[in-house]
Amino acid sequence: MLMDPALTRVIERCREGDRDAFEEVVNRYGLQVLRTARLIVRDEAVAEDVCQETFLKAWRRIRTLRDEEPGPWLNRIATNESISACRRRSRFQVLAERFGRFGGVKREVSTEARLDLARALDQLAPDHRAAIVLHYYQDLSVEETASALGAPVDTVKSRLKTALRRLRELTGSEEVS
Amino acid sequence: MSDDFERRLREHLHHEASQVPQLPRELRGRIRNGVQPRPRFGMRAPQLAFAAAAGVLAGALFFGVRNQQVIINALPAGIRQLIQPTPTPQPFVCTDRSGGNPSVSTQVTDIRWARHDGYDRVVVDFSSGIPSYDLTRQPTANFVQDPSGQPVTLDGSAGVKLILRNTDGSPSLARDSKPGFPALREVTQLGVFEGVLTYGLGLAAPTCERVLELSGPPRLVIDFATSGPAPSASPTPTLAPSATALGQFQCVDASGGMDAGPVQLKAIRTAHQPGYDRIVFEFSPGTGAVPPYTVTRQSSTHFVKDPSGQPVTLKGSYGLRLVMRNTTAYGAYQGSSDLTPGLPALLEAAQLGDFEGVNSWGLGLARNSCMRVLELSNPTRLVIDIQTP
Repeated sequence: MLMDPALTRVIERCREGDRDAFEEVVNRYGLQVLRTARLIVRDEAVAEDVCQETFLKAWRRIRTLRDEEPGPWLNRIATNESISACRRRSRFQVLAERFGRFGGVKREVSTEARLDLARALDQLAPDHRAAIVLHYYQDLSVEETASALGAPVDTVKSRLKTALRRLRELTGSEEVS
Repeated sequence: MSDDFERRLREHLHHEASQVPQLPRELRGRIRNGVQPRPRFGMRAPQLAFAAAAGVLAGALFFGVRNQQVIINALPAGIRQLIQPTPTPQPFVCTDRSGGNPSVSTQVTDIRWARHDGYDRVVVDFSSGIPSYDLTRQPTANFVQDPSGQPVTLDGSAGVKLILRNTDGSPSLARDSKPGFPALREVTQLGVFEGVLTYGLGLAAPTCERVLELSGPPRLVIDFATSGPAPSASPTPTLAPSATALGQFQCVDASGGMDAGPVQLKAIRTAHQPGYDRIVFEFSPGTGAVPPYTVTRQSSTHFVKDPSGQPVTLKGSYGLRLVMRNTTAYGAYQGSSDLTPGLPALLEAAQLGDFEGVNSWGLGLARNSCMRVLELSNPTRLVIDIQTP
């Protein structure tokens, strides 16, 4: 058995509907999920919503978790939720700009201006940013990142390459030859 | 290949992540509420449920039914859930707990205990509301008084520390009592200082607990199981424990340490001594205390990396998993993340993860061995001695 025996017992109790056991899962993985969501969605309140939705989905689907570490499983849910949240927000911003009354003013960015990394990360597409977060923050391999994103390995390699190039452009960093 | 930009990006992401220091309590509450079962009629129409209940009650009374239980039994299940008191089905769990309301400032008016079938109960009564509290389990009955720092040892072989914030104690409270129950052996007040009231509870053995927050009057109830599953099942040891001057080797999981802020792991050393192999985890200068840790025994050398979840198998046939919280090796530890000392008992030590302030290591052992865990100072270090034949 690969999983920590204590964690196996906790997951078994969760499957039996034990909410206290699930609270142990939240205690163990909550901060990791929240931080990952925060890095992808770039907004504290939205990240908390993503974190909440991740664990509620996990609770509803806990019986589908078989002989698998809950960490990567939660990671997959959190990443998908984060990307979906970014897309929902983006659609709302488009509407807000169209009606011009909700203060949804898009920040104009010049690629010539040297942005700091935080603002440069803001500019990435959500799925590119998710790849960057999983690979560079969680230190997942390209294959593991692909698994978390549910995308082919080549697609993730391409996203990482494009995202890195864009970040370098935005921050004015030279690429190492 | 990783270049300077990628290194900066990695550091930046970790820095951004560290701006979220913890999971907010409100968010925990939202998640907890989200997994609670909904009444059959749902929260969307409570008025409808109560109106239906009132209608059925009125009807029952109209037809002369005087037995209240008959009336309640006549109600649909969803309405019964709304009007009947909720039982307390919470299971006993073997983890640290926290809760209460941080905005409550209160006084403990009484602390009492009683023995029941299957558990020993401690009740803390408050004058107004349940304050923010932490319940921390520990593998010994040794405590430290607050603020004097004087050590105090209670009856029993394990303990639980109860910290109540924004709380004062009534002068009439007993300072020390020895219930001598099957699980609960001693209750002592460790200190009242700066609005923090602390109790130490001495337990006969590591025991799972159940915590209830009740009202009317506001009270915190802690039940210690006196029967049921053992908190940490361990395989039968192949080597009998033996006493030495440094303490006894034990064949059980261990935990300890103290959360005194972020800690950096600086060095790891291994050595063979007569009767045991030693691995030392040394922390950076200025570290005040060994961070919170758990050492978990397992009957294989299969581990899982954090956070990738990838399996890794170390040398040997048994394993120990060391998890240190609020600890990182990043920036201070220059050694290998996979040591193969090839000692009689300790064959391999590999870092399993260094993520979100949790630094974990897997130890591959030649055989199922008992261990001794020491927390030492000057410099601050965590020592694990693994018994050899």
